[in-house]
Amino acid sequence: MSTILKLFIYPAALIITCLGINTILGGHITPGGGFQGGAIIAGAIIFCIVVYGIKDTPLKFSHDFMSSMESIGALLYVFLGLAGLLFAGSFLYNLGVDLYSIVPGYIQNIFNYPDPTHAGIIPYLNFAVGLKVMVGLSAVVIAFLGFKNELDEDGEGIEEIE
Amino acid sequence: MIFYAGPLVLGFILGFIVGSRVKINPESKLNFTWGSYITIFIAALAAAYFLGPFPYYEDLPLASGFLAGIVGIIVGIVTLGRYGREQTEQ
Repeated sequence: MSTILKLFIYPAALIITCLGINTILGGHITPGGGFQGGAIIAGAIIFCIVVYGIKDTPLKFSHDFMSSMESIGALLYVFLGLAGLLFAGSFLYNLGVDLYSIVPGYIQNIFNYPDPTHAGIIPYLNFAVGLKVMVGLSAVVIAFLGFKNELDEDGEGIEEIE
Repeated sequence: MIFYAGPLVLGFILGFIVGSRVKINPESKLNFTWGSYITIFIAALAAAYFLGPFPYYEDLPLASGFLAGIVGIIVGIVTLGRYGREQTEQ
């Protein structure tokens, strides 16, 4: 890739990442949310990988990091759902808002998102989905480029990998 | 003035996670100094101002999640990442 791209893309990727974070955080009141914001962050990471190559990219996602982030995102989502089941009797009940007034006040305070809209657990769900999507979409591109490098080094066809 | 902690904390955590993954390869020709990160921060500050806050958020005249994100990224880079060739060689 050209020098101009190599100078520009890394700072641009950091700014694009911030835009993705902003999209994740506004999911409960504006268009966007966990999936869209996570896809924007993954786009920034893929941008870096395409321009610098998988070896020299400044934003490196290792296999352990990707698997742990996927697990944390999924577990956070499931635990928030199970908390609703435990305290209110239905899976993914919005404990922070408590529309039916069946949850004790201190539980409501724990799960209430501190902002003027009082969205309850929705922003936390967006956060969990954002983590999962960010890592999941990046993993696809990282895996494809990893396979391609492996093929190039061997100088053989796909049959060799299989 | 009331500061809403939600977007500040969650934005910082997300930014920190991404920033901690910045590992600049010492063999590559990339070399970003402190000045470049300060420039990126100022650019992000301007972008946050022009984005404006979310509806119903009247604590700051800029996108607080965006700002928390860039602060988290820079803190992540400084604490757990490798931000430049010179720092990697030390």
